Amino acid sequence: MKELITNYIINEIHGGDPDLEIAPEDDLLGSGLLGSMEMMRLVEHLEQTYNFRVAPQDMAIENFMTIEAMTNYVTRVTA
Amino acid sequence: MDFSWPQEYLDYKARVAAFATAELSGESRENDATQTFPRHLWEACAAFGIQGLSLPKAYGGKLEEVDFMRALLAMEALGYGCTDNGLAFALNAQMWTVQTPILHFGSEAQKQKYLPGMAAGKIIGAHALTEPEAGSDIMSMQLAAVKAEGGYRLTGTKHLITLAPLADVVLVFAKTNPKLGGWGISAFLVDRGTPGFTTSDKMDKMGMRSIHIGSLHFDDCFVPADALVGGEGLGFSIMNHSLEYDRCAILASQLGAMERQLDGAIKFARERKQFGKSIGSFQAVSHRIADMKLRLETSRLLLYKTAWLKQRGDAARLEAALLKLQLSEAFVASSLDAVRTYGGGAYLGNGGVERDLRDAVGGVLYAGTSDIQKNIIAKFLGL
Repeated sequence: MKELITNYIINEIHGGDPDLEIAPEDDLLGSGLLGSMEMMRLVEHLEQTYNFRVAPQDMAIENFMTIEAMTNYVTRVTA
Repeated sequence: MDFSWPQEYLDYKARVAAFATAELSGESRENDATQTFPRHLWEACAAFGIQGLSLPKAYGGKLEEVDFMRALLAMEALGYGCTDNGLAFALNAQMWTVQTPILHFGSEAQKQKYLPGMAAGKIIGAHALTEPEAGSDIMSMQLAAVKAEGGYRLTGTKHLITLAPLADVVLVFAKTNPKLGGWGISAFLVDRGTPGFTTSDKMDKMGMRSIHIGSLHFDDCFVPADALVGGEGLGFSIMNHSLEYDRCAILASQLGAMERQLDGAIKFARERKQFGKSIGSFQAVSHRIADMKLRLETSRLLLYKTAWLKQRGDAARLEAALLKLQLSEAFVASSLDAVRTYGGGAYLGNGGVERDLRDAVGGVLYAGTSDIQKNIIAKFLGL
């Protein structure tokens, strides 16, 4: 899942930028890798890919700040 | 695919339209001219059950659970019957950007304190997001909420806030941790009368003049920890969650207004005679009215689809942006076409036709400008 999220950010949001490197623990919003709209787009992609809905109360830093956090969250709620 | 509505929904829609036509439209022109907020009409709406449409029975609604599609049709009917577009706008603003966030994110104590009073029309709530330097770029908001003993201290200003001069309570967004960007935004409920919290007088504006907008000022304003809604850092989610409901419902009322406008234009074009014939028999006029009908029906399809997605619990971010862009721009275009159809009488203010045009212009600005909607659409298309 980490690879899927990383590839989505690089290819769909950053146009396949070959120089872009993202670590699983990078702060996606805080570092500017994602804007607020891109974050919502990524969330929608995860919802469609893994067939679940992010509860509004779950849309929080501990679940979506990094690729690592997202992976843990999606794994937990789709288990 | 089935485009029909259950008969009970249509019956309810007809009752709302009849109520709005009979009870809410008599003072529209005067209230627009004098910028007077019709508090008694706000309370009449509450007595009818309008504000309760976004709440379950436990907190003042009429039904056990919120039925968004039924509520949407009701707000469309309200827009059709009520010629004061500002009143419908403000009702929607409270229902979907104050009541809904409290319902979904608030504590039980917050729900009990505010929601029944809002449903009853006794408490007015405002949603406060925009700042003087943070309009479309909302993530750059500056209003700070600094942790203090037992709560937070708020400092900063909110700007262009619907109902600000009247609100008994505001749902205000502030940065609790500026280093975290979007994740550092939190929402608070602040009561009027809280030391350090003041509101401006109403601002003069172009349209929807019966509804007051203004600024909020927080000067080292202490709020207790239990004023926080949903927990620290949930502001980003709260604002996103309510926006799609808000866009659907506000635009439903505008759709109703567009239908009222179309019905009026058809009636006028049939009755008004020039060169010995009804002006509707001239293609220059009838084609303009055909354009109005096309805008109405294409907007309706987008509205119902977006609402259907929300009712199912599906994401509707792209659809909500398409809807907001289409319907708000269509209302402006059709309002201008209505003025052209009515001619000089409309320009002089007869019949409220020019008021619809002034009201419609606000729609391409608030809750995300048309340019911002295009940005969202483009982002979702991968551009």
